[in-house]
Amino acid sequence: MEENKEQILVKHLLMKEEAAWKELFGAYSGNLTYICSRYLTEKEDVHDVLQNSFIKMFRSIDSFEYRGNGSLKAWMTRIVVNESLKHIKQNTDTKSTVEIEDLPDLPNDEEPDFEEIPKAVIMEMIQSLPDGYRTVFNLYVFETKSHKEISGLLGIAENSSASQFHRAKGLLVQKIKEFKMSKKAQYE
Amino acid sequence: MNNEWLNNLRSRMDDHEEDVPEGLWDDIRDELFSEEDKDKMITGFIPEEQHEIGNNNGHKVVDKRLFYCIGGAAAAAVLLFFVLQIDSHTDRPETISQNADGLKEKVKKNIGIENPQDRGSSAAEDQMSTGASLAETTIERTLKKINDIQLFSKETKNDAEVVQDIATVPETKVETRQETEISQKPLLVEKAEDEPMKRKEAEEALFTPEKKKEKYAENKKSKPEKSWMLSMLTGNASSNVAEQQFPGYASMSGKPMNIEQVWTTSTYDDNPLTEVLLANQSQPVEAKIRHKIPVTLGLSLYYNLGKRWGIGTGLNYTKLTSELHSGSHTNYIKGVQTVHYIGIPVQVNYNVVQKGRFTGYVTGGALVEKPVGGNLTTNYVVDDEIKETTKESLDNKSLQFSVNTAVGLQLKVIDRFGVYAEPGIGYHFKENNALNTVYKEKPLQFNVKFGIRLLLD
Repeated sequence: MEENKEQILVKHLLMKEEAAWKELFGAYSGNLTYICSRYLTEKEDVHDVLQNSFIKMFRSIDSFEYRGNGSLKAWMTRIVVNESLKHIKQNTDTKSTVEIEDLPDLPNDEEPDFEEIPKAVIMEMIQSLPDGYRTVFNLYVFETKSHKEISGLLGIAENSSASQFHRAKGLLVQKIKEFKMSKKAQYE
Repeated sequence: MNNEWLNNLRSRMDDHEEDVPEGLWDDIRDELFSEEDKDKMITGFIPEEQHEIGNNNGHKVVDKRLFYCIGGAAAAAVLLFFVLQIDSHTDRPETISQNADGLKEKVKKNIGIENPQDRGSSAAEDQMSTGASLAETTIERTLKKINDIQLFSKETKNDAEVVQDIATVPETKVETRQETEISQKPLLVEKAEDEPMKRKEAEEALFTPEKKKEKYAENKKSKPEKSWMLSMLTGNASSNVAEQQFPGYASMSGKPMNIEQVWTTSTYDDNPLTEVLLANQSQPVEAKIRHKIPVTLGLSLYYNLGKRWGIGTGLNYTKLTSELHSGSHTNYIKGVQTVHYIGIPVQVNYNVVQKGRFTGYVTGGALVEKPVGGNLTTNYVVDDEIKETTKESLDNKSLQFSVNTAVGLQLKVIDRFGVYAEPGIGYHFKENNALNTVYKEKPLQFNVKFGIRLLLD
């Protein structure tokens, strides 16, 4: 069977060749930076977490199993997310998450419509979410974790995860509206 | 609840990219690859988990370049060894000129003390001039091999001139001619004795790199791994030949022979020592013990403890040779003591700098050495004839402790091999009952170790 590009790359990665790792970095670092930045807003934190992630990949590449195209990216993403969560746990005191009760109830179950929003703006919006919300939101939306899984990962109650997500969603709806308003205002 | 927006958002953002933090790759590369180089050479950073994974994983990483570069590394080692060997050869002219000096002094003494008609003095003069010319020829030969010893040869030539001046003092008798003939012999023999020594040394020099190659061959087959490191070294206490001089006679221990010893032995007529003593009755005698450069071969294994630190242990073999020359020039006792040590070192390494292919580090540690064998060959030489040879084995097995520290520079030849040079100092703790070796004579020694390191699994 022909080996595809990804498999060949993995083979070289296994040999710990610097060139292969550089290639991997070049190909995926942008996307991984984005993934990491979803969780962490500080540039320095992103830098540190990505660095640690790559080191971790380097050390555990032997345990990587190729399961079809994209599995390398998925594997890397998993490592970056895990490292990001680790960083969050280490660097935030447990109380820093915004108390749910302090926030006003959201008016409705309206769903955010990201269709016309540029990606960079979506990113800004996600980053502007309060830390706890953002983490839950990311895990639920991008990592497709269930609230049960999130509660286990973050050490919070399951319903807390659900309500944080709910509120994050609500905040995004608001932000989208604000963005559309400002856009409109620009044109007028 | 409609999750469509979630899926849309996810797929839309899937390929999104953000600006990669500045210098991230450089940091990662520093961490992984320059670190890996260090691993291979000095310290280890790749942790144990990796170690285990590496074992489980059967992938073979055999670099073809390896084969080409082994040769290169070995060649470098051979070259280094020869350079040092030449270095040690430069000691020779010195001893020759010393001999000439000693002779000159003797001649002067003879002239000064004894009356000019004494046949002994003229004999010594003649002996002197032949000795000096022999020294000259020896030096000329050495010159062909080594360029940088002109200084020594000049000295000796000067000596020779002085000697010739002295030799012009007249009053020669027929008897003296005969004696001159006799005295020429020992010098020739001594020279002849020197030649095999040189050859032996050269053989050793050739032999050691070969050994290394053999070891490479063994190691080549092993799979690479990050934390363990094998290192082969050969050591050399550069220009550290120690000489002890005593008036009168002395034994290998450096202690002068006591009167009883001299007296009791002199009662037996067929005793070779007596002959030596009798032959030297009217001549000034002195004892000289020359400790040769220790020859060390070692094999060590390092384990890396994090980024900069590493510990290592191994097995060292050291050969110490000392030569005793006791008596006058023609009649003397010649002893060669060889002691073989097997030592176990414990070393701690700390990486100081890492620049490209070079790594600078400091190392320190302790060494316990046990003499595993040794012998003392004694030749009694009268009028240049070996009257008797005795060989005894040395059973002194007291441990030799030493501490050492060194700074090292390592050059990565290829990713798995590196050559290093390690100038340092060592201190050998004196044991009163220990053998008289260079360790005892010069406890504080400067040395240069050099060797090859490679990483194994």
